[in-house]
Amino acid sequence: METATIQSCRDCAMRSDRLFCDLPADALAAFDNVKNAASVARGTFLFREGQAARGVFVLCQGRVRISVCSESGKRLTLRTAGPGEVMGLSAVLSGCPHEVSVETVDDCQVATVKRKELLLFLREHREACLQVVNLLSQDLHVAYERVRSVGLGRTRRSRLLSA
Amino acid sequence: MLSPYGLDIVESCITCKMRAERIFCDLPTSALQAFEAIKYATAYPKGAVLFVEGQAPRGIFVLCKGRVKLSICATDGKTLILKIAEPGEVLGLSATVSGKPYELTAETIDPCQVNFVKREDFLRFLRDHAEACFKVAEQLSEKYNNACHEVRSLGLSHSAGEKLARLLLEWSSKNGEAAKQEPRLKLALTHEEIAQMIGTSRETVTRLFADLKKRQIVQAKGSTLVIRNKLALRSMATNS
Repeated sequence: METATIQSCRDCAMRSDRLFCDLPADALAAFDNVKNAASVARGTFLFREGQAARGVFVLCQGRVRISVCSESGKRLTLRTAGPGEVMGLSAVLSGCPHEVSVETVDDCQVATVKRKELLLFLREHREACLQVVNLLSQDLHVAYERVRSVGLGRTRRSRLLSA
Repeated sequence: MLSPYGLDIVESCITCKMRAERIFCDLPTSALQAFEAIKYATAYPKGAVLFVEGQAPRGIFVLCKGRVKLSICATDGKTLILKIAEPGEVLGLSATVSGKPYELTAETIDPCQVNFVKREDFLRFLRDHAEACFKVAEQLSEKYNNACHEVRSLGLSHSAGEKLARLLLEWSSKNGEAAKQEPRLKLALTHEEIAQMIGTSRETVTRLFADLKKRQIVQAKGSTLVIRNKLALRSMATNS
């Protein structure tokens, strides 16, 4: 089923519920100008680890899976992300290649912003920059949780098995 | 001249020689002036704990000199060293920003100079200085990338040997050694601490090092390790 594409951020009904989207009117208007709304089919990779960061993807509708991969192709899921979250932020801001892969698990609506335009937008709109800082610190919190469970969880489990 | 722990304390950020080379410190003068007013420059000896995982966030600690070990602990006391922070890094950043408890324990492994900023002062500083906010976003991004890297390394590497090889390759690519045929690295951590970085036991790390030396893949010269066979180490790191 095709859901209607949400074109304008200012008219979006979800605006106030979402961290990144809850911006003052002038910032949202500026964001509307730099973004491209797009539909992405389920099972598509928005980007893969190792790729250069070309821009970010704001999730408007649908969910994605964030994962890391070994050289041998084994995949480890970090978490599932939902509407209101921004994919690719850390790569765009640090200028480093993507550290994770992101794949849609539903049919999604996304708002894409190219790297240069996003950086300019953040420099010009302090509130958006603060939101990004909050988003990143949430991302980091989840990543540390994963480090804890992956790096320390195994030994706990193996101890239980051998007891 | 007397100075605490042998450190030459840098009092002013504005005249600091390292200013341009460090993400967070490379701020416009007006922002740095505001930062000077809210920071407390302090010296710590080796082995000092700056903050503990789970502690309520008091503020950020900008690392000016020396290195700090960042670790995560399990409920059974097992420790995982996430990384060794270098000068320029802002510690306790995500906790200070979010108000959640510190995620990691930070312990100095050298005498350190640290600039501490109280949480409320720092948050006000970010609101008032857009450029600083941007730098914070950059630093958080780097930390996130590093954490994802750790998840991959810990969760997807098959063996301790693989992880140790990766770590040695990472360390040997610093300080301009990457291009050399036989890069060198200074072993700043004990076997126990290396074990805590890769999630294995001290005995395994000692055994792995002995094996690497026997196969002439690495050579120890005091506390310096020379990588004699980069190719072999690389194939160990990717388990090929």
